[in-house]
Amino acid sequence: MAFSHQHMRNMMNMMNMMKNSMKPLLAKHSSTGKGSLYALILMVVFLIATTPSFVSMNNFLNIIDQITINGIMAIGVTLVIITGGIDLSVGSVLAFSMMTFGVLTKDASLPYFLSITVGVLAGTACGLVNGLLVTKAKIPPFIATLSMLSIARGLANIVSGNTQRYDFAFWFSDLSGKRYLNLFSITTTLLLVLTIVFALYMKYREGGNRIYAIGFNPEVARLAGVKVERVTTLVYVISGTLAGLAGIVLNSQLSSSQPYAAVGYELNVIAAVVIGGASLSGGVGTIGGTFIGALIIGVLRNGLNLNGVNVFMQQVLIGIVIAVTVGIDMLKNRK
Amino acid sequence: MVNRSVTSTLSGIPVGKTLRNIVKGPIVGLLALILFFSVITPGFFSFGNFINIFNQIAIWGVLALGMTFVIITGGVDLSVGCVLGLSSMMMGYSAEYLGLPFPLAMLIGTLVGPIAGLINGLLVSKIKLPPFIATLSMFYVARGLANIITDGDQILNYPAWFIGFNYTRYLGFITVSGIVFLFLVGSSLFFLTKTGTGRNLLAVGGSEEVARLSGINVDRHLILAYVISGTFAAIAGIMIASRVNASEPAQGTTYELYAIAIAVIGGTSLSGGEGSILGTLIGAFIIGILNNGLNLNGISPFIQTILVGVIIVFAVGLDMFSRTRDSSRPHHSE
Repeated sequence: MAFSHQHMRNMMNMMNMMKNSMKPLLAKHSSTGKGSLYALILMVVFLIATTPSFVSMNNFLNIIDQITINGIMAIGVTLVIITGGIDLSVGSVLAFSMMTFGVLTKDASLPYFLSITVGVLAGTACGLVNGLLVTKAKIPPFIATLSMLSIARGLANIVSGNTQRYDFAFWFSDLSGKRYLNLFSITTTLLLVLTIVFALYMKYREGGNRIYAIGFNPEVARLAGVKVERVTTLVYVISGTLAGLAGIVLNSQLSSSQPYAAVGYELNVIAAVVIGGASLSGGVGTIGGTFIGALIIGVLRNGLNLNGVNVFMQQVLIGIVIAVTVGIDMLKNRK
Repeated sequence: MVNRSVTSTLSGIPVGKTLRNIVKGPIVGLLALILFFSVITPGFFSFGNFINIFNQIAIWGVLALGMTFVIITGGVDLSVGCVLGLSSMMMGYSAEYLGLPFPLAMLIGTLVGPIAGLINGLLVSKIKLPPFIATLSMFYVARGLANIITDGDQILNYPAWFIGFNYTRYLGFITVSGIVFLFLVGSSLFFLTKTGTGRNLLAVGGSEEVARLSGINVDRHLILAYVISGTFAAIAGIMIASRVNASEPAQGTTYELYAIAIAVIGGTSLSGGEGSILGTLIGAFIIGILNNGLNLNGISPFIQTILVGVIIVFAVGLDMFSRTRDSSRPHHSE
């Protein structure tokens, strides 16, 4: 099959056109999440007006502390959702990483840096399996990661003999407990740095564009030269790795490793991503939006706590907030 | 080679053939599982044990039946586990706190289901919320309400006859819970395959646009699917209260994922338009037999958790594999 030069050039032109025609679309799509920003501002203004204890640096820092786990995992899940996939396994992967770390540290007495690395890599491995199941075995992401939800939780139980590990080094608990310059702990710094790095990458780098392109239309992305399978796999690997990292962070916060940690967290994470403006049909969503989504949940819980609203009522309200934010987006789009 | 082309011709249009095609894989899997455990486990292959398994899968089975209707329309219902919990709590509250007669309390608990389902259905059909989001919202709302009713407390001590639903065996083998499950399987099967409304549901899942053009009221059918799913979830809530002799706000946590897994193992496709009640029943048996067989062999429940995951991957992977091999296969919308 020999192509003439002319032919090749025509094809290249076509692909460039496709790329260019994608750009305005992407620009438009990345402006979603504005709705959630307004919602957040509205909530903050309301809380400032009604709740004196809400307005303090300390309270603000508390909120950031509380959203660290959700925020870190939500970054990876955002990338997955932008490709049109979903990752239901992050809660279980978190627990598997946490127990791997706990067992290596307490039972095998490995040095922390080593057990942290292996713990995070356990998450990476789960992500890799997810990615390969989706790209090579062509299993729908919902099913592939649902299986991993089951498998990783079983592994977390097995590696630990289903018992907790505790009594970790003070400096390790300090990673999340000690604030530097009276501002951020190491773990909240980690959340902020990851958010900024991924936000910049998705907005300005070619690689970020490729991820949007896959979610927008995998076939077109393939024609435009994107290695769809590799990028998709990578996205699941990132999600698994960040879930693993969140496992280490949670371990530091709790000062213990729990095999039943983070049960059901996957839906909290997806809620943050969706409130942040990402669409489950892919191609739409931003890291900044997701951070706002996580903040909305955090501020809502915090504000309701300060006003003495019971925890259960908070659940009800979070459900309503999800329906309303996404519902308004849908109604707006229909016009 | 010949086989392949025959399969693709068979899976052409007729519903009956399609059904056979859908449940073929799950049935083979189920038989293999039964054979495997019968060989390695004394006491597995007995009437008594199969009755045990049937009773054990009743609750997940009922949830999965309702889920099948929603998945067939191309949606998903994440709220079933929470609706189950809310129904159980509403029943307990009505009976123990309000002092209502017990049958009335059971009815009130069950009514939670169609209400939650109606809201889900309206959010999906009228507001056009993606089903995942609509039912995720209901997930939080229902779980929150289940907790609010008693401020997180559990409700205990139900009448003996109610607990008996789950233990007393009639005719020497079947419990009331088992009868309810059997009845719901039968009526779902009839509804989906023998009534126009049931077949319309499949059409809506195949393609909403085509269904609309052929005069089907799409919104009404979508709402119906969610109402069925919610109602079945609420019935499962009553069943679980009877099984554990208590209503707890956290009942049914993560059950939605098992319900989805069972439907999917049974050959129902998450992209909609394809699925069968028989497949879901087989899916429930696969999970039930797996748990039962591994239990009898003293395998740890954690390995069972892992195996459930592996089996889901295999079931769906094989299905995907046979589809890509046979790409000429049309998408079924009836």
